[in-house]
Amino acid sequence: MRSFDYIILAFRNLARQKTRTLLTIMAITIGSLSVILMISLLTGIRQSLVDMFESMDAFALVTVTSDPNSANDNNSLITSGNGSSESDGKKLNDDALQTLKKLPNVADATPIGGRINIETMKLEGQDKKLWASIISYDPETKVFQMPLEAGRKLTTNDMDSIVVGGRLVKTYGYGSHPADMIGKKIVLRMKMGGGTGPDWGPLPEKPPIDGDGKDWYEQHRNDNTEITATIVGVAQNSAMDDSQNYINIAWANKLMTQVRWEWDDSAQKACNDESKNGSRTDCRNITTSQKLVKDDSNAKSYGSIILKANSTKNLPGIADAISRLGYGVSTAQDMLDQINEIFTGIGIVLGAIGGISLFVAAIGIINTMVMATFERIREIGVMRACGATRASIRRLFTFEAAQLGFWGGIFGLGLSYLIGKVGTQIADRYATDIPIPIDKIAQFPWWLVGGVIAFTTLIGLLSGLGPAIKAARMNPVDALRYE
Amino acid sequence: MIELSNISKIYELGGEKIFALDHVELKIDKGEFIAIIGPSGSGKSTLANIIGGLDVPDEGSVVIDEMSLCHANDSLLSAYRNKKIGFIFQSFNLQPNYTALENVMIPLIFAKITASERKKRAMECLKVVGLEDRMHHKPTQLSGGQRQRVCIARALANNPEIIIADEPTGNLDSKKGAEVVDILKTLNQKLGVTLIVITHDISVAKQARRMITIKDGKIV
Repeated sequence: MRSFDYIILAFRNLARQKTRTLLTIMAITIGSLSVILMISLLTGIRQSLVDMFESMDAFALVTVTSDPNSANDNNSLITSGNGSSESDGKKLNDDALQTLKKLPNVADATPIGGRINIETMKLEGQDKKLWASIISYDPETKVFQMPLEAGRKLTTNDMDSIVVGGRLVKTYGYGSHPADMIGKKIVLRMKMGGGTGPDWGPLPEKPPIDGDGKDWYEQHRNDNTEITATIVGVAQNSAMDDSQNYINIAWANKLMTQVRWEWDDSAQKACNDESKNGSRTDCRNITTSQKLVKDDSNAKSYGSIILKANSTKNLPGIADAISRLGYGVSTAQDMLDQINEIFTGIGIVLGAIGGISLFVAAIGIINTMVMATFERIREIGVMRACGATRASIRRLFTFEAAQLGFWGGIFGLGLSYLIGKVGTQIADRYATDIPIPIDKIAQFPWWLVGGVIAFTTLIGLLSGLGPAIKAARMNPVDALRYE
Repeated sequence: MIELSNISKIYELGGEKIFALDHVELKIDKGEFIAIIGPSGSGKSTLANIIGGLDVPDEGSVVIDEMSLCHANDSLLSAYRNKKIGFIFQSFNLQPNYTALENVMIPLIFAKITASERKKRAMECLKVVGLEDRMHHKPTQLSGGQRQRVCIARALANNPEIIIADEPTGNLDSKKGAEVVDILKTLNQKLGVTLIVITHDISVAKQARRMITIKDGKIV
């Protein structure tokens, strides 16, 4: 008997009991569906994380933070740090940057600005606000690539310019034509008021000169300062974190520098000193004035520094050297290892859950095949009389069971593909502000498609083996006589 | 050509040995038409099954065309049934979901013949039994006599040397039964097929060139 004949015969036999066959296949379909959805969800999320790193050339990057203990807690490659001035660790400032740049095998380095005191951002003329997520870096360095959808990259001289991420573009409905965003203005809202403001734009309002100004400060404590930035580029939506927007670190430093009005009591002090010497006696009529004070303590230290290694194989050496200097250090490899570890763990658990439903489905196949062999005892006898060997009978029934599994796998794949498509559609429409690219999650890599079909077919084959062996062992004389 | 010597088939029933066949000796020549008669449970079906390679005796030897069946393995016995034997059953044993043509093709499938060859050969066989206009009918759309003719066509499929018919007329009325026996006789005479017919019906048995009677597992 030829293999193709087995397949055809098995298929025809299955078609005889349509309802039973379909029900059995349905059980396999559900089982494989649950496994497929879990695996493709996991691989999709994992892949989008890896893609993000790769799009940023991240596998050659080393992130240096001030706190040596925080190294492995960072799950984001580019971090704004914690303002760093209060940190226990070593300061990340210009000196540190120069030191790190001189380390062997370091190709380039960029400082990443600390957290800027910006609360929300929105497109000028629109009501919808977004939480600000702004990262500043040194555009001069070539540490990380920033593939652009439209516009240009930042330059060293850019001050009030911004490169926006995919999230913002989508939110305001420019997803299909990002180039139209170029030249539009973004309004950044900083929580600074009451006589203080950033070192950019108009000077902060002067507090009144009379009294101690307590009421005035109370009143203006929650004032905001609005700053406008022009969109010069749109970052490509390849990174996981498309909510990120980018500005020049030089401008960020200005925004981080606080300018505030303070009482200038130098004249009073001078008078007091003079009166001590006896040259002046009355200092009450000295008029006090207000002066501007700049506080750039936040701007002086960076959130983090990102180094680019000249080759990925030098990453461990660089990381070691930085650790010895007392900085926190993390590489993409650490994160990748972590990601893989986490996802393997989750995968095993989810796979086991899906496996249970497949196991139940396998019992369904066994049941179906046991019934089929009983119904067809005489038929088995006739086939044996017509020259079928035991092996042929065994193979025929095994092929039948394997086909149940095969079709279950096919339908499972088809159904999960549909679910993935529908899910992507829904996600595109309603879930633009979830920070996960859902369109990348419902993925069906070839190994998953092949693996699922092979696996369900194997399950069917193994489930059918018992009944098939029993059918093959039947004595043909008894089988022919069976009523 | 068919040589059975000292054949015994023993069943155990409640610890007691029962001889279905008790030291049977039988020789059948090529091209013979032989009828085996006897009461129910006399062992005539067991004898036919042993000749047909469906069953093996517990004692004695079966030699067919100088090939011993007693020590043959499953694949040899299966090939023997496939190539040399055609079975015809009282209850037809046709596949209900297959057409007449497809039923006739079953032995050809196990002979590893290509699909187009199978169809050609099965059509020839149906023509022999006069069912060329009923090829695409399913067994339920055929009368009893027609069903048995499909069965004969199926037995003929691989050009067997021996046809074993176990009560071929048992489920048919006398007219249809006679038609079936006529076809079998024609096969015996024109194609030289060795024909072994097991029957209760003495009028069928009388048409055979030789008639043997079995009683309590012995030829009498």
